[in-house]
Amino acid sequence: MRKILTATLMVLGWGVASAVSAATGTVLRDEKLYTQPSATASVAGSVARGANVTILSREGGWLRVTSGRTTGWVRLLSVRAGSGGLGGAGIGDVVGAATTRSDPTRVVAVAGLRGLSDEQLKQAQFNADELARLEAQSVTTGQASGFASQSGLAALKVQGLPKPRAEQQASPWGEN
Amino acid sequence: MSLKHLILAALLAATSLPASAFDLGKFLEDRVNRKLNKNEPAQTAPAQPSTAPAQTAAAPQPAKQKVDPTQLGFALFGDYSLEEEVRIGRQIAGNLLGAVPLVRDDALQRYVNLVGNWVAQQSGRNDVTWRFGVLDTEAINAFAAPGGYVFVTKGLYRMLENEAELAGVLGHEIAHITQKHHLKVLKQSTLIGALGQAAGQRAQGSDQVVQNLIGNGAEIMARGLDKNAEYEADRVGIVYAARAGYDPWGLPSVLQELAGLPSGDNRTSLLYKTHPHPADRLAALGEAVGESFDTLRGKDLANRFYRLR
Repeated sequence: MRKILTATLMVLGWGVASAVSAATGTVLRDEKLYTQPSATASVAGSVARGANVTILSREGGWLRVTSGRTTGWVRLLSVRAGSGGLGGAGIGDVVGAATTRSDPTRVVAVAGLRGLSDEQLKQAQFNADELARLEAQSVTTGQASGFASQSGLAALKVQGLPKPRAEQQASPWGEN
Repeated sequence: MSLKHLILAALLAATSLPASAFDLGKFLEDRVNRKLNKNEPAQTAPAQPSTAPAQTAAAPQPAKQKVDPTQLGFALFGDYSLEEEVRIGRQIAGNLLGAVPLVRDDALQRYVNLVGNWVAQQSGRNDVTWRFGVLDTEAINAFAAPGGYVFVTKGLYRMLENEAELAGVLGHEIAHITQKHHLKVLKQSTLIGALGQAAGQRAQGSDQVVQNLIGNGAEIMARGLDKNAEYEADRVGIVYAARAGYDPWGLPSVLQELAGLPSGDNRTSLLYKTHPHPADRLAALGEAVGESFDTLRGKDLANRFYRLR
């Protein structure tokens, strides 16, 4: 029943992005709640995998959430929006009901819009004119880096992320 | 022991023992055929090739393909030439555009190319011309084809809030290309040697040889990749966006948005068919990121983000 309540469409106006009105989330792993958006801040409490939280705001890679009586900051990647639990399939809402968006300040537009089907892709015929249009719109590296620097973007050194242990055997040729 | 090592060991053994009764060519051919058969749904009893199982799709029966010895290097080590890669990507892109045209908004298309090219420069791959397009469909999805072709749908673009989120989405697609995920699928599932037979043939329009390789239309885009390829594209793509100076939380924010959409929304049916659920992607990305980005201070550039008309 609570699901139905939380799935009720929230009609909210445009707001400041960081001051998001309450949205529900599910915790993806056991986590600490910090008093500040930093892992060096003091710990306010903890949340268990699968727990529902209310998302109050976001700052960088952190979400400010409330779980029970505790409010604190948790890593963005440790929470998923929506209250349907952890599973991948069939989560998130009551069939046919309007949906709660993770960020109600964004435009809500759901019903009646058509997707792109595999059949459409399968039947597709090569379109040389559209491809020529696409190719004509590509830009040079100079144009792109100029556009980047206009807004103060500069290339940073960032190390690649490690492959999780579970995936290490996944090479297509690797089972021998 | 990896196949590469096995083959190298076999080559060494064969060259040092020229009079050996060991038939290297036969050995390699068998290895290739076994590798190609590996993808069949039923992996039981591979030792009985006479009982050919019924193929579900119209795919050619790989076991019956005669292996061209000149293609063995490609078949074993999986490398398409750059020219072949671009030919394959161009055909897939042209087909995809046959299913869905580009949004008729030159300023939008130029903006996405400027952002995408900058992110792609951080990938270190500069031997292809990077091309980006926004597709005129409300479906929520993004696509990559080999050789530098990247697409995002209008439906997905509409969900984005700032340039960092766009950079994150494009970074994921760029990563599919730099990691050659689709080429690996083609290598595993289709007959080998097809491209070699028509080397040098340059088609202006549709490329029939490549079309034979990729199946019907742009269906390769509907088949999807292994879920580990998607997790890898998330991991690699988020780093490209971070290297480009963007707030690295762009891609996770988009995944959060997707996770909040209702599962019955038909704009996401193909996306969910071809990708792990966004909640699983967030969890996998969280494992990989940990504290790595705690000190990064990227830009989100919400102010110059191009809004759809």
